[in-house]
Amino acid sequence: MLIKDLAAARRRAGLPRPGRRGSLALRHVDAGSCNGCEHELQSAAGPAYDLSRFGLHIVASPRHADILLVTGSVTRRMLEPLRAAHAAMPEPRLVAALGDCALGCGLLGHADELVGPLEQVLPVSIRIPGCPPSPEEIAAALRGVIASGRPGPTGG
Amino acid sequence: MGEDALRLEEVAPAAFAARVAAAVEAGGRFGGLDARPDGAGGHRVRALVIAGAAPLLVATAARQGSVPGLRAMLGAADWDQREAHDRCGVRFAGDEPHRPLVAHPADPVAWTTPVSGEDVHQVAVGPIHAGVIESGHFRFHVVGERILHVDVRLFYKHRGLERAAVGCRPDEGLALVRRACAACAVANQVAYAQACEAALGLTPEPALRRQRTLMLELERLYNHLNDIGQACAGIGLAAGAMEFADLKDRMQRVNRAVGGHRFLFGTVAVGAGVAPADRAARAAARAEVLAVRDQALRAWREILFNPGARQRMRGTGRLGADAVARMGLVGPAARASGPAHDARTVSPRLWYPGFSPALAPEATGDVAARIEMRAAEIPPATEIVADLLADDAAPAPARAATAPGGVGVGWVESPRGETTCVVDLRSGRIAGLRLRTGSFANWPGVAAAAVGEILPDFPLINKSFELCYACVDR
Repeated sequence: MLIKDLAAARRRAGLPRPGRRGSLALRHVDAGSCNGCEHELQSAAGPAYDLSRFGLHIVASPRHADILLVTGSVTRRMLEPLRAAHAAMPEPRLVAALGDCALGCGLLGHADELVGPLEQVLPVSIRIPGCPPSPEEIAAALRGVIASGRPGPTGG
Repeated sequence: MGEDALRLEEVAPAAFAARVAAAVEAGGRFGGLDARPDGAGGHRVRALVIAGAAPLLVATAARQGSVPGLRAMLGAADWDQREAHDRCGVRFAGDEPHRPLVAHPADPVAWTTPVSGEDVHQVAVGPIHAGVIESGHFRFHVVGERILHVDVRLFYKHRGLERAAVGCRPDEGLALVRRACAACAVANQVAYAQACEAALGLTPEPALRRQRTLMLELERLYNHLNDIGQACAGIGLAAGAMEFADLKDRMQRVNRAVGGHRFLFGTVAVGAGVAPADRAARAAARAEVLAVRDQALRAWREILFNPGARQRMRGTGRLGADAVARMGLVGPAARASGPAHDARTVSPRLWYPGFSPALAPEATGDVAARIEMRAAEIPPATEIVADLLADDAAPAPARAATAPGGVGVGWVESPRGETTCVVDLRSGRIAGLRLRTGSFANWPGVAAAAVGEILPDFPLINKSFELCYACVDR
């Protein structure tokens, strides 16, 4: 009832209707990046782009997250921490590959130290290319997930 | 022969430590040490010391896998020795046992410092952290909130970039060096390009030196703005964090306008420069850089007068000048404890005429002084950028000046301090590469500055150095 009242109050006030409503909680894991994607993700959440306006929040724990944002060519040493973070997420959960390294494009490094593209480790359903993707591109890709309204696959 | 001609010295193992220490004692800067297989079942250990603009490589053979350790005479060599031990098993007599640095044994007893006493316990943090930051692990030994010791365990992001470079052409190696770290991409690539050029006997012409200097100072500006914002975030001062995040983003837009990329990727090449941005773009960038400086100084003054910020930053994480010298710390973090070297004063392959390093208003060696050094370095860097943005000419390729020597050394003052690079070329291919960044030099300083402080101050102390993990892990 209260919510109906609120909606009515908003109609009277002539406020614009919100777009598709929703929110997503994001947890970031650096699986072996050059720190470029981290800088740009921070900027996307910062004052100029302000992801939180769109219902997108970076949270401190995978326990609170809907999306695992993974950066970097997955290193051998980050494989277990990455799997543990994914396993700690409640379902439904999505995995996003943030940046070209996570997407396995032009991977650089010694074969002994790299596991390979993120896709070989976790089920990726969101792909954000770029080296690194700009804050605008990150914001646009994540807004697209809300706008599409699809929960996506629940992942493994 | 330039003033920066490389000297090579081969010494007996017993004389190695004393020779390196003597070169440092005589006013040289320690620029790193590494070990490589000698192709005959043994190893060669090599140390870099740079006196002014004159690099010296001291090499020796590790007999039965061991050379006398440097640590007692030269604390700065500690991490280098541990890395050399982990990578190829070379031991440094007198400094054993070597706690693993690059290697990651599962048992914490194998890699943590034994700390014991009543109520001493450990707090493990990472490798995944709560914020959007790089991966690395800290093992705090504490009593209550009080930090007795920190073991820093990095190399979770070790990608083997230097090993991957072996066999590459110099231009292919550049891509690997760039990938080492986005925030230091220009500094690392210029150090690498200089090392390759020195090995090939090439000297950069003034226009190329100026272009690289412009990119280096643009990199310094956005990094320093970022560091001040991060320190504000570390004390929960949202206004400062947001203000400086915005200023940093404005500088990254300038980077894109001037260099075509927000992190200036693609602005450094081996033996050559890139086409400068058009005149209108450079004029607009110049105006924006000056406006960002003015806004940054206004915002910084507000932070200085914020009582909460003062209370948290002053006296926290203090390092004395003697500790800084003993650990061989570099960059703004070192200069915050007293007059310390700035590689821009001895960079004949760059363009810093009449440069003298900014001085800390109060060299108190604490968080406040380290952050203040960033603010103090913004105006001079802005002036250099504004001056160099006037350049119209596309740089000519580096010219042949000396006979190719096969090994070359490069160094630059990165935003975090002096970064050195040693490149060995054989038949035009990379036979060895070592990149020792300002972050690598300074991580032991983070651990030392945290001793005696409380756990909640660690993020702030860490951010007052704002070191990269990526260009340490490589």
